[in-house]
Amino acid sequence: MGVIIGPRVIDAGTSLLSVLISPVPVAAGYPSPAQDYFDGRIDLNEHLIKDITSTYVVRVSGDSMERAGISDGDELIVNRALEPRDGCVVVAVLDGELTVKRLRITTSGVVLQADNPRYPDIRVPALSDLVIWGVATRCLHHV
Amino acid sequence: MSRAMAGRGSVALVDVNCFYASAERAFDPSLEGRPLVVLSNNDGCAVTRSPEAKALGISLGEPWFKLAPRAKEWGLVARSSNYELYGDISARVMELLGRYSAWLEVYSIDEAFLGVNGTPEELQRLGHNIKTAVRRNVGVPVCVGIAGTKTLAKLANKWAKHNPAFDGVCHWDAVPAAQREKLMAGLSVIELWGVAARLTKRLNAQNIHTVLDLARADPIKIRDRFSVVLMRTVLELNGTPCIPLEEERIGRDQLIFSRSFATPITTGAGLRQVLGIYAQQASARLARHRLQAKLLTAFAATSYYNPQESSNPTVCVPLPMPTADPVLLARAAYALLPRIDDGVKYVRAGIMVTDLRPTGNQAPLAVFENPHEERGIGPLLEDVSRRYGRGSIGLGFAGIRGGPDWSMKRDMLSPRYTTHWAELPVVKAA
Repeated sequence: MGVIIGPRVIDAGTSLLSVLISPVPVAAGYPSPAQDYFDGRIDLNEHLIKDITSTYVVRVSGDSMERAGISDGDELIVNRALEPRDGCVVVAVLDGELTVKRLRITTSGVVLQADNPRYPDIRVPALSDLVIWGVATRCLHHV
Repeated sequence: MSRAMAGRGSVALVDVNCFYASAERAFDPSLEGRPLVVLSNNDGCAVTRSPEAKALGISLGEPWFKLAPRAKEWGLVARSSNYELYGDISARVMELLGRYSAWLEVYSIDEAFLGVNGTPEELQRLGHNIKTAVRRNVGVPVCVGIAGTKTLAKLANKWAKHNPAFDGVCHWDAVPAAQREKLMAGLSVIELWGVAARLTKRLNAQNIHTVLDLARADPIKIRDRFSVVLMRTVLELNGTPCIPLEEERIGRDQLIFSRSFATPITTGAGLRQVLGIYAQQASARLARHRLQAKLLTAFAATSYYNPQESSNPTVCVPLPMPTADPVLLARAAYALLPRIDDGVKYVRAGIMVTDLRPTGNQAPLAVFENPHEERGIGPLLEDVSRRYGRGSIGLGFAGIRGGPDWSMKRDMLSPRYTTHWAELPVVKAA
């Protein structure tokens, strides 16, 4: 008897529980009615993701956002549909790399900051001089 | 004829520019501006080229072994086909497009027709909104062609793509008539939607060379000398909508099944039944072509005439193994059901299978082998099982004939950024 691993699309709006792995080992031969629905339990997608079409999950590498509670190896939920505003934690494209920074929009210009004084600020005249990949809405911090 | 086509309204054709390459770039910005090709299964040949790769003179279908020696000199980057990524990005694009129209026809993995209403100015604005939203929310660039008919929307889209002056959005009616004629006169009939090379030769023999020649031809004569299908093209070129929805299509690397329902379906159970039927049809079709699929997209849509409850859920599901098995395909399609809004009237649903490969080239190991495939599942499926059994019988006992799936050559595969927890995009905190 084979065990079929369930589909594992993270984004597809199926319950996150079903995404990680199908909880019911399926006896190959007949589809189990229990396979398709998960009722009653807390659905993290529902609570953590507002716009599933525009949301991606990314993994953090590095410690420059430690003081914002974002550690090396944490996952961020990033919504691309949100307007980047002053104070947001954003994923920006810097030198061809996805980079997490705090966005500061001031009258004197736009700054990307690390929440760590060891890393220098990046200053540009206007928001349009940056490529903002998305706005982080949640950090899945490992405790 | 599609109801949406029947009277008023326009059609927008939205498609993603260099789709596979754009999906790669969305998660790897270092690829931006560099020549990039995406390779077919087994890293065979270039199936998608970024504009920079086209500029190098690389042609579609060029084998990688010929390109590889010069890749370094050109700065050319290659990626293996990452169907899970493309399938997920496609599903996101389709869902987003569904917000702009209550009538959406998924035409292929990277293009869709939308029913839209408004003046040319309004629709051009809508086109730009769509272009901006898909780029921002999902992360890939699209072009939009808008016209009164599908054929013209296709043409408008082509111009939007190739003429920078349009900035990615072209409304046919907003282009001055003289310019339209000039554009049509400069375009060979083979560039037209649905006109193949063989037909082009026959048309040329009748002194029809350009799109303009065909547009000016007598539709009745075209019907008599060629076909009703080509007559429809002529009528559509002149603004009369008459191309019906296509319900079954085989593309280069995908198979689509989609139907409009006679009466709307409002329950998960009803939709489940429909998806099951499509899965069986897809299974039979795959078996006939001796193909297996690794990825399935399922979608449903509300009516054009019911904008109040617009809903276009789309899901993309990686299959546990390359398969043509109806039960596995159906189960994957059911992943759509939790996305269904109960009570909403769905008038259309479909499935698309992609990441196709020949049956038997990658026999699964015995433990992963799917027992359904050796079994008849009702009279409807017997035929499928029979064909299927012939190709696969003894695989579990006779050992591995073609090597397991994961040995398929995909040396330059990017991470499955959006479908696997272990392969999420990495963002630098430095």
